Amino acid sequence: MLNTDLNKFTSHFSAYTELRVQENRNNHISMVNGDVMGNSISSSSGVSSRVYKDGNWGFSSSPDLSDSAVEYVVKNASDNVMFMNRRQKEQCGFILPDISGHHEIDLSTQHIRNDQKQWIEFLRNIDDYIANKFSFLSSRTVVLSGLDMEKSLLTSSGSTSYSMTPRGIMYISLTMENNGEPVDLMDVFGGLGQLEDHFLDPSHFYNDIDILVAHLQKKSTGVYADAGLKDVILDADLAGILAHEAIGHTTEADLVLGGSVAGEFMGEQVASELVTLVDYANTIDEQVCPVPVYIDDEGTPSKDTVIIEDGSLKSFMHNKDSARHFDTKPTGNARAYAFSDEPLIRMRNTAIRPGKSSLDEMISSIDDGYYLMKSSNGQADSTSEFMFGVPLGYEIKGGKLGNAIKDTTISGVAFDVLKTIDMISSDMTWSAGGMCGKKQWIPVGMGGPAIKCKVNIGGR
Amino acid sequence: MQNQDISDYCIEQLLKAGADKAQCIYSSGEKKELNVDAGEFSLFRTNANHGISMMVIKDQKKGSLSINKIGKDDIDEAITTVLNMAKSSMADDAYDISEFQKAESFSKGDAEPALDMMYDRMEEFMEYSADTFPITIIEQAILDFTAGNSCYRNSNGVSYNEKEGSYSFSAMFTSKDGKDTSSFNSAGFSSLDINFPLHTGGSINRLLKESAEHVRTKVIPKKFTGDIIVTPDCIMSFMGFILGNLSDFRLIAGTSLFREHMNKQIIHESLSIHSKPLSDKLSGGYFVTSDGYKAEDLTIIDKGILQSFLLSLYGSKKTGLDKVPNSGGSLIIDTGDVPFEDMVQSVNEGILLSRFSGGSPSDNGDFSGVAKNSFYIKNGKVQYPISETMVSGNIIDMFQKVKHISSESVNFGDEIFPWIQLGGITVS
Repeated sequence: MLNTDLNKFTSHFSAYTELRVQENRNNHISMVNGDVMGNSISSSSGVSSRVYKDGNWGFSSSPDLSDSAVEYVVKNASDNVMFMNRRQKEQCGFILPDISGHHEIDLSTQHIRNDQKQWIEFLRNIDDYIANKFSFLSSRTVVLSGLDMEKSLLTSSGSTSYSMTPRGIMYISLTMENNGEPVDLMDVFGGLGQLEDHFLDPSHFYNDIDILVAHLQKKSTGVYADAGLKDVILDADLAGILAHEAIGHTTEADLVLGGSVAGEFMGEQVASELVTLVDYANTIDEQVCPVPVYIDDEGTPSKDTVIIEDGSLKSFMHNKDSARHFDTKPTGNARAYAFSDEPLIRMRNTAIRPGKSSLDEMISSIDDGYYLMKSSNGQADSTSEFMFGVPLGYEIKGGKLGNAIKDTTISGVAFDVLKTIDMISSDMTWSAGGMCGKKQWIPVGMGGPAIKCKVNIGGR
Repeated sequence: MQNQDISDYCIEQLLKAGADKAQCIYSSGEKKELNVDAGEFSLFRTNANHGISMMVIKDQKKGSLSINKIGKDDIDEAITTVLNMAKSSMADDAYDISEFQKAESFSKGDAEPALDMMYDRMEEFMEYSADTFPITIIEQAILDFTAGNSCYRNSNGVSYNEKEGSYSFSAMFTSKDGKDTSSFNSAGFSSLDINFPLHTGGSINRLLKESAEHVRTKVIPKKFTGDIIVTPDCIMSFMGFILGNLSDFRLIAGTSLFREHMNKQIIHESLSIHSKPLSDKLSGGYFVTSDGYKAEDLTIIDKGILQSFLLSLYGSKKTGLDKVPNSGGSLIIDTGDVPFEDMVQSVNEGILLSRFSGGSPSDNGDFSGVAKNSFYIKNGKVQYPISETMVSGNIIDMFQKVKHISSESVNFGDEIFPWIQLGGITVS
């Protein structure tokens, strides 16, 4: 729909200019204890232009997609950069790398589209299954959420691109009571694709629901984790959030310029030699990643960024301006969430490369530790110190899984933790619904193999 | 069509198309935003936008839709779509719209920003931070002015118009001395004007100073149980759990810990918490709730006793509990009578908690997480900045063990919080 030729507007470009037309479409249905609590769709579309001159950017956006509105937006962005140039002259003469590329991709579903009634029926079927089979649950929440991001881009360097990148997700959150106290657990399903690509048959999820409830029942009688530095296995969810939050952000070039600790480590051994950590652009082992990016929102063809190779810090992630600053090539990491957002340096699909161990081998190698399976949220900072919530995990005693544990937290300094990794599983799993917040929220791919390492685990 | 004409047109057409009840909000506005990245001016951004949000009820079934296209054809298509969404849904007697109230218009703030003053204030902030805290890098600073209009209409004849304009400033910063790096921190505030240096707003100057002190940290001597003094910047990390238990989702889902606690003591008697969207002290308040009521100030918790849930019209009808004309937020926690310095002097062993990086609390309030940008207190004195320190406990227990509330507070524009000293916290 938005795959449109923007070349007719190039006569209005006066300096390095990006012109982007974009529409984001959301569908959100939530059901709480069998009642439809939310039933909404939304769309947000418009045009934006960003102009670079003498080290400053000007940006403008409008929801109006008429030719005159597009021309106004380009002019307004140019006026905005002139305002900056008039007030600040120190960066006069800066020139961005001249890179161009062309790519079109439409990942719309090939299935017949469902209407809202069918999606509500789908949710009702899922909810009925849970309510009928697990009547002891005190609360059930089931949510379907779809996001289509469709955009066309033209840059004055000659790049053109069109992409339609959808994501379809279902959340199931369940609560039961134990001795009068609520205990909850959530799981997320789906990923790249529209809702029809994942959720046509509710019975496909019955087994997943059975597993989720079994974990919840064990968690309800779980024990507090024993606080301290422990041997742990971080399953894909947690290994992915470690790669993204604690390492990935510190190696975004804008955060390196902002003082992140990774700025001091380039070329140094920052992890076990088992660790290769990559921000994948779009494909791994011929499989399309959860958030495939072929050309970024500055028109740079996207390539994999090998951040850590065999334990050594190799590269930061760049946009055009940071590549100019570091005298290197942009990596295709500039991405914007909405039409009205400017591109920022963002991760795409960040993961540790799989190793050679099996999960069973990893569990049996631990005498006293934990197998940590899910993350509830995560934060990290410029020092690579991190904290992740862990809503699901089990004790490991004598090489075997033991009791479930209550909600806990793990923390550490990521560049120290990476040095303790001594086993990496050979499989690879992406989390379904990764989102990253950095001025703008944006979908990201997070996941990986399971890793064995040492982290601090919170107790009571 | 003019702003109010769009809202009126939507209501008229929704009813004509068969809606039993309908609500529409048309909004339009523009944001102008100055950005600094890695200590340098980087971007001047202008965003114009408008949008229409509709909600319809048909046979007690509900559908909601929002678009940012305002052509007549787009609106007509949206009306057909949202009505079909409602017809496709499931009936619920709790769906409703606000009843008739007298039409009113509200306004605050300027319509246009003082653009050169915005640049001057940002430049002044950058010079101040570079001169005063030379090892502190401003990773990002954003100063914006947002002006907008909105028109609320519903089929019960409710008609409200709002016009607002306000500034917002935020800064994220890290300090670096050689290879030693502090944790990042951030601070911000909103205001109707910028007639003051930006570093004097909210808690920005204090947090810049603390960031510079945090490039070299120590770990605490050993695990202990003691006091934490939670700074105004950090209070919502814990208070959000209390308020979440008073709001729609948990009360409807049946997981609220306070469902049966109206007019009962739920936290320490020294704590009083208000939601005051109309307060003159707050620039970030609101006049109309999202479900179509003229907003009113209210006390949520008075001297530790629960006075009001924060339920929407739907939440109220769904739970049978009282509805309040307030959408939450605009929080003010009453100050106490102990100066901050005296509070520190009263601590035998504890920490000054400036930022909390924690997992989502359990449904019962258990929490654990890392104390960031925080300081170790021993024998009544702030000793040194700390790292790799965890705090854990239970949020409800914690707020039942309040020792002191400071006589000082910080106004962030959207909320006003004091420092709160809490006892019996495990620090490891």
